[in-house]
Amino acid sequence: MSRKTMLRLGGALISLLTVFGVMVMLLPYFWMVSSSIKTGIEVFDLPIKWIPDVIRWENYPNALSKGAFGVYFYNSFVVAFAVMAGNLVFCTLAGYGLAKFRFRHRELCFRLILSTLMLPLEIVLVPTFLVVRELGLVNTYGGLIAPLAVDAFGVFLMRQSIRDIPDSLIEAARMDGCSEFGIFWRIILPNCKPALGALALLAFRDNWDQFLWPFIVATSDNLKTFPLGLAQMEGIDSAAYHEIMALAVLGMIPAAFIFLFFQRAFVRGITLTGLKE
Amino acid sequence: MDREIGAGQASPAMIRRSASLLWRWGAGGGKRSLHSHLRWAGFFFVLPALIHLVIFKFYPMLQAFRLSFFRYDLMSPPVFSGLENYKLLWENPLFHQSFWVSVKYMFGVSIPEWFFALGLALLLNRRMPGRAVIRLAYFFPIAMSQIVVAMVWKFMYHPFGLVNTILETFGVGRINWLSMEESALPALIAIGIWRGIPLFGVIYLAGLQAIPKEYHEAAIIDGAGVFQRFFYVTIPLLLPTIMFVMVLSLLSAVKVFLNPLVMTEGGPNGTTRVLPYFIYETGFAFFRMGEAAAASMVLFVFLFGLTLIQLRLLRRGGVE
Repeated sequence: MSRKTMLRLGGALISLLTVFGVMVMLLPYFWMVSSSIKTGIEVFDLPIKWIPDVIRWENYPNALSKGAFGVYFYNSFVVAFAVMAGNLVFCTLAGYGLAKFRFRHRELCFRLILSTLMLPLEIVLVPTFLVVRELGLVNTYGGLIAPLAVDAFGVFLMRQSIRDIPDSLIEAARMDGCSEFGIFWRIILPNCKPALGALALLAFRDNWDQFLWPFIVATSDNLKTFPLGLAQMEGIDSAAYHEIMALAVLGMIPAAFIFLFFQRAFVRGITLTGLKE
Repeated sequence: MDREIGAGQASPAMIRRSASLLWRWGAGGGKRSLHSHLRWAGFFFVLPALIHLVIFKFYPMLQAFRLSFFRYDLMSPPVFSGLENYKLLWENPLFHQSFWVSVKYMFGVSIPEWFFALGLALLLNRRMPGRAVIRLAYFFPIAMSQIVVAMVWKFMYHPFGLVNTILETFGVGRINWLSMEESALPALIAIGIWRGIPLFGVIYLAGLQAIPKEYHEAAIIDGAGVFQRFFYVTIPLLLPTIMFVMVLSLLSAVKVFLNPLVMTEGGPNGTTRVLPYFIYETGFAFFRMGEAAAASMVLFVFLFGLTLIQLRLLRRGGVE
């Protein structure tokens, strides 16, 4: 075999591997969607029919009627958007401060912020709950949102991305008499859109998804978020796989939209950031 | 603080002047010095995030430390009990079990992630037809919610679910994955790996693309093969990214809570009761807040030590 055919063969093999990998990654989602439009019995039929003969759209309204899902979805949106907004504002401000200014203990500040990566909510669960209780925020939106509003990874991401903005741009604006906040608003923000997209996507996903914290803080039914509602419904009716899958599909849609909306920014954001240190 | 102003070219007189300007600006009047003005601005940009982290991270951490020496059930006031909570943990076989479950889960998930994610990034970094679509397909799962993942996989692992159906075509019998002691934790680990690969893949891809092409070109001119280039060019230049992925993957694996809760309830026989689950259960189901806080401290010390060791090892490996 010549070198050329070997290279071509290798290339074909790698392409095959790539496609196989995509299948493995996406198969569960196909199965989820497929099961959500079958009857409770058909979901276990063999051989698997990926598209059933009769499509059962009624699973969706039926599943939704098994809990106050309107309220749960609303709460999830409120929490996810509020936390996303908090992250976009605070992480970007902090990232800018750390990337483009010199001040006393700047490195210490940066390290302190990064060190909170080692203090996820799961570890400081009990005392965070006690703090929120002292603030009188148990069973309120504030209590759901406040502890999550800043994330060290977000600060890191924004700092890396803002560092790549040329200093000359900032200096020029400063010479022209632009205020510090004006520089932030007109120079920094437009120049780090991809990283902002990545941050928005990650923040939305993580908090659309928040489970542990609402699980602890939201005890009343009208504050429960979608993940809690779904887990609760599954606990009561664990054999209704077709309906659970229908709810899972619905729960996937917002995050999927956000992803498609931000995906270019997301991949570019992480790429440009380069994570070089 | 004088030493830091205009480092390098500053004369003592300049320093005095800017210090006094800084003072006057801070007091609300006078002409602004560019330097002092900038220093304050920088700090003010960071301040909101710092305040937040002090309230919701550092203060709770101190509280956890304090609380770990108290007996507290949320109702009656805390009672100082010295090292009793740590002693209780030490004597509690469930805590030992939980600790090792967490360790197994952490490494079981993150080590395969390092390799699979790197492989994925190398694949996606090649030129091939439809690369944009393929990348999109790989990265799409990043957007998926944990709860959706948990529900889908619980269904996948059902005795008559997709996993068993596929395995059956290869002649493997049906297994009730989530209710057997030997298979429950590996089943959860598989989900963790599957879930983590896309995100760490993106991060690696970013690292790969940050490597200047000239390095590879120079290596090709010197006659380096594919593998030589991988081990002598790609890997050394990728080390910072690798370090980042290693730390982040371990830290995110140790946080797993939702999957054990909704898929196995920590069972069967505690084989999937990871430490966060133990902490939750001790604190919010048994109302032993002090003991839960002590368990948090143990977990924190473990994570801290682990991160330090990793950073030290990688620094020795040439990463500054």
